[in-house]
Amino acid sequence: MAKQKITSSSTAEYFSKNLQQVGFSSPTKAVLTTLKEAVDNSLDACEDHEILPEIDVVIEKIGTGTLKNTDLIRIKISDNGPGLDAEEVTKVFGEYLASSKFGRGRCSRGQQGIGISAATTWAQLTSAKGATVITKTKGMRQAVSARVEVDIKNNKGLLKDKKSITWDRPHGVSVEFEIDGRIQLQGEGGLLTYLNGTALVNPHLNLTYKLLDQPKQKILRVTDKGPDIPEATEPHPHTMKLGEFIAFSHLFGRVTLKVWLKKAFSRITDNTIQEFIKNGLPKKYVDESIDKLSELQFKEVFGAIHKTELMAPSTRSVMIIGEEAFSKSVRRLGEVDFFSVVTRKPTICDFKPVAVEVAIARLKNLVRDGSEGNDPPVQVLRFANRVPLQFDKSACAMVKAIETVNWRAYGLQQPKDSLPNGPYVIALSLVSPFIKFKNASKETVDASDELVEEIRRTLIQAGQRLSRHIRKETKANDLEEKLRHIEQFCPILVDCLCRITKAPAARKKKANEGLVKLLGRDINLAKKQLEEAEVHAEKAKKSGKLQVVKKDEDETKEEAPVELEAETPDVEIKEKKAKPAPKKKTEKKQIEKVD
Amino acid sequence: MRDETIPEMSKDLCSRLLTDLENAKRPVMEAVKCSLDNSNYNPKVGYLTPGDKMVRTELNVSSVQKMSRAIFLLEIFLRNLETGAVNTKRELYYIAKGEVKHNPALKPLDFLDQTESDSVIDFICEMLECYREELNCFANDRGGQTYSNQLVVTETLPDGGKAVVDLSSLGTTPFQPKNRPQSLKLKAKKKIDFCLVVESEGTANTFVSNGFCKRNNCILMGAQGVPSNAVRGWCKLIQDELDVPIYFFGDLDAYTMQNIFRTLKAGSAASLIRNSDFSAPEVRFLGVLPEDIKKYDLNDYPVKETDVGEARALKKAADALKNDPFFKDKKNKGLSEILHWLLKNKRRCEQQAFFTVDPRDPTMPEKIIIEKIKRKNYI
Ligand SMILES: Nc1ncnc2c1ncn2[C@@H]1O[C@H](COP(=O)(O)OP(=O)(O)OP(=O)(O)O)[C@@H](O)[C@H]1O
Ligand SMILES: [Mg+2]
Repeated sequence: MAKQKITSSSTAEYFSKNLQQVGFSSPTKAVLTTLKEAVDNSLDACEDHEILPEIDVVIEKIGTGTLKNTDLIRIKISDNGPGLDAEEVTKVFGEYLASSKFGRGRCSRGQQGIGISAATTWAQLTSAKGATVITKTKGMRQAVSARVEVDIKNNKGLLKDKKSITWDRPHGVSVEFEIDGRIQLQGEGGLLTYLNGTALVNPHLNLTYKLLDQPKQKILRVTDKGPDIPEATEPHPHTMKLGEFIAFSHLFGRVTLKVWLKKAFSRITDNTIQEFIKNGLPKKYVDESIDKLSELQFKEVFGAIHKTELMAPSTRSVMIIGEEAFSKSVRRLGEVDFFSVVTRKPTICDFKPVAVEVAIARLKNLVRDGSEGNDPPVQVLRFANRVPLQFDKSACAMVKAIETVNWRAYGLQQPKDSLPNGPYVIALSLVSPFIKFKNASKETVDASDELVEEIRRTLIQAGQRLSRHIRKETKANDLEEKLRHIEQFCPILVDCLCRITKAPAARKKKANEGLVKLLGRDINLAKKQLEEAEVHAEKAKKSGKLQVVKKDEDETKEEAPVELEAETPDVEIKEKKAKPAPKKKTEKKQIEKVD
Repeated sequence: MRDETIPEMSKDLCSRLLTDLENAKRPVMEAVKCSLDNSNYNPKVGYLTPGDKMVRTELNVSSVQKMSRAIFLLEIFLRNLETGAVNTKRELYYIAKGEVKHNPALKPLDFLDQTESDSVIDFICEMLECYREELNCFANDRGGQTYSNQLVVTETLPDGGKAVVDLSSLGTTPFQPKNRPQSLKLKAKKKIDFCLVVESEGTANTFVSNGFCKRNNCILMGAQGVPSNAVRGWCKLIQDELDVPIYFFGDLDAYTMQNIFRTLKAGSAASLIRNSDFSAPEVRFLGVLPEDIKKYDLNDYPVKETDVGEARALKKAADALKNDPFFKDKKNKGLSEILHWLLKNKRRCEQQAFFTVDPRDPTMPEKIIIEKIKRKNYI
């Protein structure tokens, strides 16, 4: 695959003053964001070049920071990606809005060309050192090591201490930052949450990390198959904002508006251009070269396009993790009792293609004994284009959707309108070439009604699959309880009756025997019910709908028998265009299905 | 009256259960279903009687606990009946706890709170079709403070002795009726013209202090909210033994009509098996009547539908008109019309509003009441 051209524009000054907007709002977040930008880039680069990623992370404290209450922290990320040419290094690490991913309509993690340069800026502002980079492409005989600094005034990268070195790998990039920051490992905003989350939604990733003095961890890939990268489709004009629209035009140089629109966008033909004209596009612009159009004129073009109805974009551009790979990856979360995974077919929400995937798993280490009913809320892991979202969860479309599902129907506890409780992890992954975030730091997905409804349906499917197992467990508990009941009450009942009636010992013995016989029948019935539930769960497991983890179990089968189609919520899925069904109705239907 | 004593019935029941067990047959306990949908109302009888719905409890893994608990408490009751000991429900709860404490084998029976033991007690009563009192289980006496210058009460004491109480000798101290009306005998020293039951015990006290009983040959009683068994049995006794008209004077609102007055007059669905002895079908509703508001220019006020309690009372009233055989019967048309009026107008008027008629005359409410009785202005 040919390497994309990296383009740059505009100034670094704005960003250096507004680093808090792009994830550097606190010392703790600075560490996470730096790590995240680098790892995301490595994964993107490997994906573009169909390389199975091997990423190595080291984060350590090396002194005290210059800012109050901070440590000096070294963050080093190395990958086995395609590597960068020496000339590209300054652009990538030192220039803002330099990106190969811009406007491609791909589901890549990075989109804007800001991420890694912001990390360099933060490093430079706090430790005066910038980024230390080692890079090697296949074509280079030796690797290059250099330091990159941002020339903030000119939005340019400066290369220092450049030298050739021998390196241990044929290609890849390694980048090291020294920054002021603070390390938080656990919790929603923690580094471990990011790393483990990233592993979860990237089943093909080999990740090693060493954090502080903790032993080095190795997370091995569970599949040798990278994600299927869909043919990039041209962006749909309705998914762009005016600014993006204009910036996008810069990529094409000197072509006429007509040619640009037809070539650079999907769903635009000669006919649609005629429609644009009807809707206010001045006819004379059509054959004008786009590099001659003023901002105001672009605005007119943009307005006319948005007034015109277009075919929805194709869903082909959406890439997914897939149920099989996701299923394998879930087991890396910890000791998993059982789980269910659902990948929905890509669909259109708010005119943008999107695919929702969910994994719900019960984790042994989250199960607390003897505290029935007092479990804390489930852990929610959110992902947008396979990047963990770790802040601001309450406003997020994914959390909102979880809260609207009636989890009690599937055997989980749930306070009204809240997250369910229990030792579960709900991992939700949203993939789309155009994810609408609520803010610039990409931490919450905008909760539009259509998107929430689509996520909700995914969750309902996963909940149904899960409930089969949960019900089996309840039945087992029931049985145990019943057995206990009988042992306890029978002698008391017979004793009391005999005392009241002054019955002789012989009657007492006979009554006891009769009672045991009677209740034995009940027990057998309960056992049978349990067995049936087990068979049910087993069936579900076989069909890939529910997966119970046993020590010596071989990998789950992939084939999905016809039953799968028949039992998953039906009509609703197939009619993508159908209006979100009224909540109550769907819910009722789902409950009926469970029974 | 039944021809078997409670201990006999209990022993029969236990013996039947035991025989079933010996034969490995599932024993069944049957109890009267005490709910509105099993309530009948015959205007000639005058109170709610049980229909033929029964609650069957068959022994199985889920019901074995309930059955064991019932037989366990029954044994305690039988012991009490044998020795003549009496208890309140709360005391019985602690007695049961004590039994468990002294015999760890009974641990599984342990009641977590009094509602659990109470419901088993009710179950036993429904099963034996008897009153709690017949099992020597009494609620504390509540409500029913009574004043009269004519009434004499003779109580048969548990030891067989007799106590005679002349209410006129008590001054402004009320007589407190007992939960067991069967042990009381009534006599009038002089002709009694009527009995007035006032919803608020406080207002009844005021009437007495203002000389109500001096001016009228009557029995004056405070009900204090939903009438207790003591009040209900007491009214029934007055009705049966003295043959005097009884009038109820209380608030004009859905709660009073439905919960207080209906219970007094015809009993309740929860106490189906005891309504025959705990209701006074002759009692009349003297007011406040809807027409009184205009007639006496009483201060009434709108029902706050935002108030949960009042909103619920209204809803219950609407349900009663549909489902309560008492209000559905044409004999009680006058009363159901009041419910209709309340639902439609959403206003209420309190008994104390009669004090606004002439604020300077403390006997004004009395005058109105007497006038209403004279003019047969009641339902
Ligand atoms: N490890 C790497 N290996 C190869 N190419 C890289 C690597 N890191 C960055 N790049 C290139 O540098 C470009 C700029 O990266 P940068 O993180 O600044 O922007 P982005 O990833 O495109 O968007 P975003 O700001 O959303 O992260 C990328 O588009 C990619 O082409
Ligand atoms: Mg990036």
